[in-house]
Amino acid sequence: MIVMNLKSKEKILEMLDGYNRIVLFGDSGCAQLCDVGGILQLEDMEDFLTKNGKEVLGSVFVEGGICDERALKKEIEEKRAIIDKADAFLVQACGVATQNLSEILPEKESFPATDSKFLGTMPERFYHKERCAMCGECILDLTAGICPIARCSKGILNGPCGGSMDGRCERDADTECVWQLIFDRLKKLDKLDNISRIWEIRDWRPAQSPRNIIHTPSE
Amino acid sequence: MHVLESNDFVVTSEIGPPRGADKTLVLERTRLVMDYCDAINITDNIRGIPSMSSATCAHFVLDAGAEPIMQMSTRDRNRISIQSELYSAYALGIRNILFITGDHTLLGSHPEAKTVYDIDSIQALGLASHLMGGTDLAGDKLEGTPEFFLGSTFNPYADPLELHVIRAEKKRDAGAKFFQTQAIFDTARLETFMDKAADLKLRVLAGITPLKGPIMANFMNKSVPGIKIPEEVIKRLEAAGRGLKGEKKREATRAEGLLIATEVIRAVRRIKGIHGVHLMGIDWEESIPEIVKSAGLYPRPEVR
Repeated sequence: MIVMNLKSKEKILEMLDGYNRIVLFGDSGCAQLCDVGGILQLEDMEDFLTKNGKEVLGSVFVEGGICDERALKKEIEEKRAIIDKADAFLVQACGVATQNLSEILPEKESFPATDSKFLGTMPERFYHKERCAMCGECILDLTAGICPIARCSKGILNGPCGGSMDGRCERDADTECVWQLIFDRLKKLDKLDNISRIWEIRDWRPAQSPRNIIHTPSE
Repeated sequence: MHVLESNDFVVTSEIGPPRGADKTLVLERTRLVMDYCDAINITDNIRGIPSMSSATCAHFVLDAGAEPIMQMSTRDRNRISIQSELYSAYALGIRNILFITGDHTLLGSHPEAKTVYDIDSIQALGLASHLMGGTDLAGDKLEGTPEFFLGSTFNPYADPLELHVIRAEKKRDAGAKFFQTQAIFDTARLETFMDKAADLKLRVLAGITPLKGPIMANFMNKSVPGIKIPEEVIKRLEAAGRGLKGEKKREATRAEGLLIATEVIRAVRRIKGIHGVHLMGIDWEESIPEIVKSAGLYPRPEVR
């Protein structure tokens, strides 16, 4: 999932300065899983904004994700009355969501209520760990299913660097050295050869933004 | 024969580039150590703290009449910039290049920086070796082919040891002709490393750092990646200054630090496969002549 945090209350008020009638956006996907744009957080935001003198006209909640443009447009049509009255939209979902709204509703401004952080897993509620860097060319088949690009602080391919000690990263003691994890698991799988050879300089083109994909439906 | 391939026990010394634009500091630091070592190693924005470029400093070291080893980190440059800088280095007369991946910027004075790490130190060695074949990474013919003597590093204290031995082999295969290690205090781990790496026939310069005192030792343990200074060493430094004050305390503690460095040199000389020492007088280049003398490594052999 896309992992995100709500921006500070001060920052949200600063963004909405001068805008009075607000419509909130959230979804049941990443936004709800991250506790930033589920039903509960939309209610909390409504209370907070109302207390600070704003008029919250209502909210638009998309089942799935705001990234699904068709689902988003359908919800917008159903809430057309409040959308038309609004001065601005506050999007409690990822950066994709805010941009979708900016494109679909270009006459009014959509503001991001969150900072999108990374692509990660959720071992338990409120806890997220980064797992994927969206580099465009997956190498997990060779690294025991553990990604050095997302999880090594230097993203190196012939790791670990000399700062790896006691299974920890030089950057901070809370971070595991992912190369230690890769080594341990490859050793168990009897596949140390995968990292004993030199990994050549990588072609980073698949990682370069902006990227588009048009899938070809299978026959 | 290259100075680092000599059969004599080799001594190299590190000097820190100025954190500013004063070139006279490079010359001063060079003159301080040049008679006491066979080559001078110039660090590259160590710990992500901006300092004069290692190529420029290496050029001044050459001017002073000494042999430079230019360090290059892959932290701050992509493959285009690395190739460009290697051409420039060669054009300036620099022949020895030592590649490191580079400490993470979050540990230095500019933690806000965007790191590069387009390639790692092993890939950089491969890239420099490739350039020596006369074409760039795109396969285009070079207008002038550089010839380098390449080196790299390993840290015997890093984990997992087995994988770090494999990495040293990768570095050798990518073109590293010599290695320098992280600062050594506990020699047992270096011995284990060298034993496991015996078949690789590496030329290794053991890293030596004189400690000014317990404060520096604790700081290094905490803030310098890959450093492991044993508790006994810190206790010795503390004991040396105990009961003393001011300048006397400072002198006694520093003398103990120099003594420890000299003892480590003696100990590493006995380890099979260690071909020399790499002295890192971190912000204390003045200590180098004394260490070299007390370790019985002075005078240095004439330029071969």
